[in-house]
Amino acid sequence: MPDFLEALSVAKRYGGIVALSDATLKARSGEVHALLGENGAGKSTFIQILAGAVRADSGSITLGGERFAVRNPEEAQRLGVAAVFQELSLIPDLTVAENIFFRREPLSPLRTARAGAMREATAELFARYRFPAIRPDQELRRLTLAERQVVEIAKALARDPRVLILDEATSALAPRETEWLLGLSRDLAAEGKLVIYISHRLGEVRRIADRVTVFRNGATVAAYDTASVDDDTIIADMLGRQMERLYPERRNTTTGRIALSVKGLSVENRLADLDLDLREGEVLGVAGLQGHGQRELFQALFGAARASGAIEVWGKPRTIRSPRDALSGRDGLALVPEDRRNHGLLLAKSVRENLTLSVVKRFTRFGLTDPKREAKLVDDMIAQLRIKAGSPEQAAGTLSGGNQQKVIFGKMLLTDARILLLYDPTRGIDVGTKGEIFTLMRDLAARGYAILFYSSDLAELVHVADRVAVLRYGRLAAILEGAENSEHQILRAAMIDTRAA
Amino acid sequence: MTMIASEPGEHAARPPSAPARWRGWLLDRASLLIPCLMLLALLAVYGSMREGVFTLDELNLDTAAAMTLMLAATGQTIVLLRGGIDLSIGGMISLGTVIAATQFGDGGATTLLWSVLIVLLGAVVGMLNGALITVLRLQPFLVTLATWSILAGTALIILPIDGGSLPSGWMAFGSGSWLGLASPVWLLILLLAFWFWFKRTRTGIAIKATGSNERSAFLSGVSPLAINLWTYGLSGVFAALAALYLTTQTGAGSPTIGKDYILPSVAAAVIGGISLFGGRGGLVGTIIGAYILTIIGNLVFVLSISSYWQPIASGVILLIAVLASSLAEKSSRRNLS
Repeated sequence: MPDFLEALSVAKRYGGIVALSDATLKARSGEVHALLGENGAGKSTFIQILAGAVRADSGSITLGGERFAVRNPEEAQRLGVAAVFQELSLIPDLTVAENIFFRREPLSPLRTARAGAMREATAELFARYRFPAIRPDQELRRLTLAERQVVEIAKALARDPRVLILDEATSALAPRETEWLLGLSRDLAAEGKLVIYISHRLGEVRRIADRVTVFRNGATVAAYDTASVDDDTIIADMLGRQMERLYPERRNTTTGRIALSVKGLSVENRLADLDLDLREGEVLGVAGLQGHGQRELFQALFGAARASGAIEVWGKPRTIRSPRDALSGRDGLALVPEDRRNHGLLLAKSVRENLTLSVVKRFTRFGLTDPKREAKLVDDMIAQLRIKAGSPEQAAGTLSGGNQQKVIFGKMLLTDARILLLYDPTRGIDVGTKGEIFTLMRDLAARGYAILFYSSDLAELVHVADRVAVLRYGRLAAILEGAENSEHQILRAAMIDTRAA
Repeated sequence: MTMIASEPGEHAARPPSAPARWRGWLLDRASLLIPCLMLLALLAVYGSMREGVFTLDELNLDTAAAMTLMLAATGQTIVLLRGGIDLSIGGMISLGTVIAATQFGDGGATTLLWSVLIVLLGAVVGMLNGALITVLRLQPFLVTLATWSILAGTALIILPIDGGSLPSGWMAFGSGSWLGLASPVWLLILLLAFWFWFKRTRTGIAIKATGSNERSAFLSGVSPLAINLWTYGLSGVFAALAALYLTTQTGAGSPTIGKDYILPSVAAAVIGGISLFGGRGGLVGTIIGAYILTIIGNLVFVLSISSYWQPIASGVILLIAVLASSLAEKSSRRNLS
């Protein structure tokens, strides 16, 4: 079968920075084609070129044998290329159906949008592809992040594209919806469409992709049939070297001192009567199926949710009612939030401003900031975390995902708080940066920090945490350590009632 | 890197219980229900103090009194939905009345021609606002503050003091009636018909969407320039229509009268449940808000207290409306989580 999409030696520069130098991708109709690479390898730029959001400097692209040169997303869509980016294009105050047909509303003779027709078409689309239950007439702002992601996928599918590009589409989804999307990708391929699938989760790629293309530093380095290649080869291609160990050596650095003690913590009906001790020098993992109280636990500890129960920090009873209470100095708590683009970073501000925003006091003398002291703090942190930024003045929003996450870590470390709350800190981050973050976590633990660590990826908990607390229906189902701390045992505790009724 | 493969069934979507559904329904519509309740309460007080409040005559009178504000607030509603604000309607209303009062002559073709020109001027001025806001990336507040000043100054040059004259047939507009309803009421019906049509057009949807989330709207293919030309252009047109209607009531041009409608047009919209952050609300709420402000004026008159109490009462009503909507919004968010 000839290749339906053929992109040869595509290149793109932004000023002096080469985003793509030699990207080549050949894909057939009726296949799921995975595109892999570290953050910054050029995947995003490449699919934005396909989607018409960015124009290539050179190279040639053909689609179905015809030259494919589009100037904007509408043209790309007209030629049958639809993309689901990580950045959603949905309108909070429109309904699900209105969002799906936005700008393409079916019109009545009076030129008004036919609401009934849009609802029916949406219901039909949902039924055809067995979408998770979402009401077409619901306003989008009433939906969760995962549901919005699903609607974004529906919006792309409603155009009946020949090529569907999914960029990290599962990163916001719960396991059940992830399963659905993986199945959907296969179904679309069986219908003869081409699905280009970008994900950091190799397991997903292996399950659904017929072929993979690997990018590194803006160029294609390899393309394989998925069945004929192993994970290590792919990772080596992505990194350009044999993968160093992803997980650092775990030495037990736990001391007897209790950093954070929680007794009878409850949050509405989401978290019930939780007792938990986090010790100095310890990485305590938190696991559970999505929606079983992990988020509420972190929010309550950071003062972002109303909770009842007793919290002791370094042995002293504390009441945490707002993030300001939680942040105070050496005895405080610092959080890496779930949604770093909206809650953790000011994207338009510089790396420097982001790092020092919450610690202005540390370099203020007589009410004035001291730029030299600030610069020293910032430079130290950039060096310590190996943040890849052109200068401290570069806007945080222009960094890669992994480097944005490092800035958040830096911001958190500068507060001097020694209890760290990490909520899914590696979500959507490339393998190389993940490894750095794990190493950093273990180093911090060895230096006496106490770390509470939630991850949606069980392997991370098993390999990085000293102990893992498993939540189920908002209650503590089990604390696993040593040999007990395995993916199998965590899942078992998360899914099956292990306590006597 | 294994992912968890399944999830317990309790998280599947299930229909909420009947009382919860009602609660959600009410909370979702709180921003419109609250002004309705306030209007009913005001009417009850007003009706208990004066005979004949619940008659068509009263409806005709109040609508005639409120129509200038309603027209101005229609434009403001569209701008607020877009997430902007238009202060220049003050200057446009003044300018419209003085052009009408100096150019209409004795009626007939000249009047018609100049009416059309005034409306076109409103569109051009509004589109200029929209273009400046988009191309120079300036704040709507500042751009329209500047154009307000320019238009108001122009009005003063054309007619330094209140005066001029209008054709008698023109001023008879308000006294026309059909089926017991005065012409301003029919104008209101037309206005609402326009709204229910406009809000369902692609342009109407795109204006609301842009106010709701500008970036998403842009990513979905909405042109920011086109949207701002439409939004502020329409606001200018409605300001011009407000000016024309106003002259049928006052029979004169006034170079300073327009400023009396700027903040009340925003207040009517906000009382009616329109969010200053854009994307939410509609004209029905604004019309109710305009009636509320008008009835407050009537009440002050009936109570024969100093008219200075009117802005005080309006301010209190505005605060109550904003507070109630914000409480309802918080509560509906809690309902959801």
